[in-house]
Amino acid sequence: MYIRIERGVSTPISRQIAEQIRAQCLAGLLEAGQCLPSVRQLAKELVVNVNTVVRVYERLAAEGLIEMRHGEGTFVLQPSAAKDLAAGLKQQREQFSRDFQAVVRRGLLLGLNVPELRRMLTATASDAKSQISKENRSEKSS
Amino acid sequence: MSEPAICVDQLSKSFGSRQVLHELTLSIPAGQTFALLGRNGAGKTTTIRIMLGLIPEDSGTVRIAGIDPTKDPLKARSQVGYLGEDQTMYGWMTALELCRFLAPFYRTWDMAWARDCLARFDIPLHTRIGRLSKGQSVKLGLVVALAHRPPIVILDDPSMGLDPIARKEFNRDLVEHLQTSGCTVLYSSHLLDEVEAVADTVAILDRGRIVRTGTTDLLREEVKQILLPFDSVAGTPHPEGLLDVRRHEDRLVFITDRAGSYVEQLVAQGIDHDVVDLSLDEIFEAFVIGRTQDWPDKPANPVATTI
Repeated sequence: MYIRIERGVSTPISRQIAEQIRAQCLAGLLEAGQCLPSVRQLAKELVVNVNTVVRVYERLAAEGLIEMRHGEGTFVLQPSAAKDLAAGLKQQREQFSRDFQAVVRRGLLLGLNVPELRRMLTATASDAKSQISKENRSEKSS
Repeated sequence: MSEPAICVDQLSKSFGSRQVLHELTLSIPAGQTFALLGRNGAGKTTTIRIMLGLIPEDSGTVRIAGIDPTKDPLKARSQVGYLGEDQTMYGWMTALELCRFLAPFYRTWDMAWARDCLARFDIPLHTRIGRLSKGQSVKLGLVVALAHRPPIVILDDPSMGLDPIARKEFNRDLVEHLQTSGCTVLYSSHLLDEVEAVADTVAILDRGRIVRTGTTDLLREEVKQILLPFDSVAGTPHPEGLLDVRRHEDRLVFITDRAGSYVEQLVAQGIDHDVVDLSLDEIFEAFVIGRTQDWPDKPANPVATTI
């Protein structure tokens, strides 16, 4: 498992580690059933606090990506459909939020002000909502 | 929760007319790694020297594993492994001689463990200490500080003078040998990048006062930089945890503690703003040298732009 920590940046170390393990699980670089390094090993290797690694493993276990088996070690889980979906959804939402930020930023740089952007958002949202409900209705009727 | 390993309450200390510690209060739970951050002269070493019973406090209380180090310094020190900044050891002894010399002072001295560590740290046993490299002598200092297997370890700026690789190795030893064995560690430093990776909790000490304590993740969560258009400042409340204010062209750029609730207020009022995550360095800087007097209380009259 390859993890690289950047020091002195604004992303907390625990988040850096969690994101990299998560990405490797979702990308299949870490395969189901594979044993991750023990907390002590990883802490020693990365030179980070032992409790930080514990927190990261616990968080990933709660997300259903890994499993901590007492006395045996920490293992990568088979991504079940539901878990996969939840993780995928979360990732997609994060991506969306980044896209959205970029769009807003571009609008501001183009000289649109915030009230204008807000009006655009309200209008677009109500259009999109009615469109989505129309699609749902036609799906049900067909 | 059991009794904290180190407990300091309302500790004050003056040297002559200069007060160096102002009612310092901190509590370190057993098993935690706690970093005391501060600039040179902030009071880190004074705090540590009082904890070890090397100098008396003027007022306040200190308990090390429940022991008062001023009343019972030997008993307190038996619970503590201490590595001072620039610790001097007898340069004419060899590492092994130093261990043999120190062993009788401690009832719990573990010679097998010490020799094991010396071997693992690649410290030559029969070379005079005066001829060891800086890295080797700091590691030797750590071995002799820990060979009586104390439950509490106090390190005063241990990585000062070490090169980056030796510092990383030293931190790795700290993680491997102290954190995994359940030791309580208090260490002072001003190398924030390293502290962040290794510490559970940090306390920022500034001119003898603790200005903030918290886990590094919590500090990053709660201390943020916020950018506001200067025109909308009039309608916003003065942030309670304000640490630093600057004006850049038509924007007000400030750093505040407890940013979460402040940002909620801005959102509720519909005020346009940007929130920026900060590194631990920037957070430290804001607490120690931040300036808050430039908050525009009456922002109506257009002032010359400061850059």
